[in-house]
Amino acid sequence: MSSSLEKRILISPIGSQDEEVLLLISTAVQTFFGCETGILPVLDNIDFAIDFKRNQYHSTVILDRLSELAPRDTLKILAVTGFDLFIPIFTYVFGEAQLGGKACIISTHRLSRDLPSMEWEEGFKKRAVKEALHELGHTFKLTHCKEKHCIMRYSRSIEDVDNKSREFCRYCRQLLDDEMGAVEAFKS
Amino acid sequence: MGTTRVLVVDDELIMRESLAGWLERDGYEVEKAASGEEALEKSKSSKYDILIVDIKMEGMSGLDLLKHVNENDPEAAVIMITAYGSISTAIEAMKNGACDYLLKPFDPNELGIIIEKITEGQAQARENLFLRQQHKDRTRFESMIGQSKSMQDVFDLIQDVAPSNSTVLITGETGTGKGLAAKAIHANSSRSNGPFVMVNCGAIPEHLMESELFGYQKGAFTDAKETKKGRLEMAHGGTLFLDEIGEIGMRMQIDLLRVLEDRVLYRVGGTQPIEADFRIIAATNKNLEEEIKEKRFRKDLYYRINVITFKMPPLRERKDDIFLIADHFLNRFSQETNKQVDKISREAMDEMMLYDWPGNVRELQNAIERGVVISKNRTLGPEDLPILCSEKKGGPGGRSLRNMEKEHIEDILQENKWNISRSAKVLGIDRSTLYNKLKLYNIEKPS
Repeated sequence: MSSSLEKRILISPIGSQDEEVLLLISTAVQTFFGCETGILPVLDNIDFAIDFKRNQYHSTVILDRLSELAPRDTLKILAVTGFDLFIPIFTYVFGEAQLGGKACIISTHRLSRDLPSMEWEEGFKKRAVKEALHELGHTFKLTHCKEKHCIMRYSRSIEDVDNKSREFCRYCRQLLDDEMGAVEAFKS
Repeated sequence: MGTTRVLVVDDELIMRESLAGWLERDGYEVEKAASGEEALEKSKSSKYDILIVDIKMEGMSGLDLLKHVNENDPEAAVIMITAYGSISTAIEAMKNGACDYLLKPFDPNELGIIIEKITEGQAQARENLFLRQQHKDRTRFESMIGQSKSMQDVFDLIQDVAPSNSTVLITGETGTGKGLAAKAIHANSSRSNGPFVMVNCGAIPEHLMESELFGYQKGAFTDAKETKKGRLEMAHGGTLFLDEIGEIGMRMQIDLLRVLEDRVLYRVGGTQPIEADFRIIAATNKNLEEEIKEKRFRKDLYYRINVITFKMPPLRERKDDIFLIADHFLNRFSQETNKQVDKISREAMDEMMLYDWPGNVRELQNAIERGVVISKNRTLGPEDLPILCSEKKGGPGGRSLRNMEKEHIEDILQENKWNISRSAKVLGIDRSTLYNKLKLYNIEKPS
């Protein structure tokens, strides 16, 4: 197995997803994580995670399943879904990740809120890319960052997503590089 | 400050895990407990900044755990969570000391805001504690130095009177540390977080005193271009220290008395009453009773301020403290001037013990400061202490105190046929002091 395959980050749509959004995420992931990417659906549906009372999907359960089903050459797997996600303690989440683990997921369900119609498409894509990079950052052991514009800053609201930049701050960048280096060393 | 430590206490695995997972991603150090009993055990062996506790659990309830935590570690913040939406239980928890409560499931915003508020508050409390401690250490260090009985009595008195809100009158000669005693009272009082505002009544000209004390309203007089708060208003919630109150003019005494009686004040040119919430500590080196007889001080004001009175002892009455105080100032000034002067010679110390220090601690402080500046050696000698040098030159009639003391000792020794014990008794000093003085003055028994 080649090392490039081992470093692949898989973007995995759940349900129908805008291809352009997936490609934008894929390109951003290549740029920021320096890995090859692939786009491949792994889960046909996520009915197993539904909570009928809440009419939402339990993201932690989905992450466990993604981890199990991810192809062996996958370094990390990022699922993208339009369904509304939750973790039991919260009313909703924009996404969830296994800290230092393999899988993460984002939901685009709430990302279209409060966007002016003129900038809707552009704004929506920007938000989706930011959330994808953020959740992937967690899988590389990055925790939430206090830096105002860092991509790893926790987004309490959709405004917070808009306010942060698409960049890692220098501290998170360094921690990410350290972690990528550790992963590389482990593989070789 | 290290990472905030959080203990998640919930008997529901899924809730516990999802909350802990979120907190870990948020950068907190998280531990989990599946029951109140387990949480209690953990909190006995580890310190947590925040506990997030489910109210309704099998066995020990969240409310019971809250009570235990409050007793064992009052600094820990407890956030209650409940799936039952029972406001009354949540209110009970808040009454019992919980910081906040959340109804499960909660909006991720809410928890984040609550935790941030708590951690900021805890950091602020730690900072305040640090600053207060620093302030207390400094106060103790710089001000009230003394091992003598008279100073120990002053310390005890300050400890006793500080917590009350009563007005205190400190008397004593100039330089005895009346201002430092006032600061010590303030620092040990419940108003210590409030301001300590000092007014030197002897230093402010009579015509400026009113606007200085009471402030003024814009337009009250020609130069009143802006409204200005007076010292009384600035002391709100704290302590107002009126130094040299014996110097205050009669008109101002009337105004001050009115404030003390009505507990409200008015700015010059102002009509709005302002609450006067401060404790008064006054100090004087004058005999106020004499001043009353001379009709220079109002009797009614005197009774108002003379609630608790104590006198700062003059340095000559607590000579045991001279070495301690001199050593303190030597360290301080050698550090401040970056000069290596770290000792006071025995001769200089003996001279200091003989001197009466009419200017008290302030005079001693000045003498040491000057000595450190001019000294060319690591040890401060008598030649470095100006007061003692001038004393050597002799007083009226060419006889200095030193010479008089030397002659007096020689006379007493002769009268008592050089019996040291008897002579010491007559002189009112102990034998070792007498031996020291013999050495100091080079007095030898005639052969």
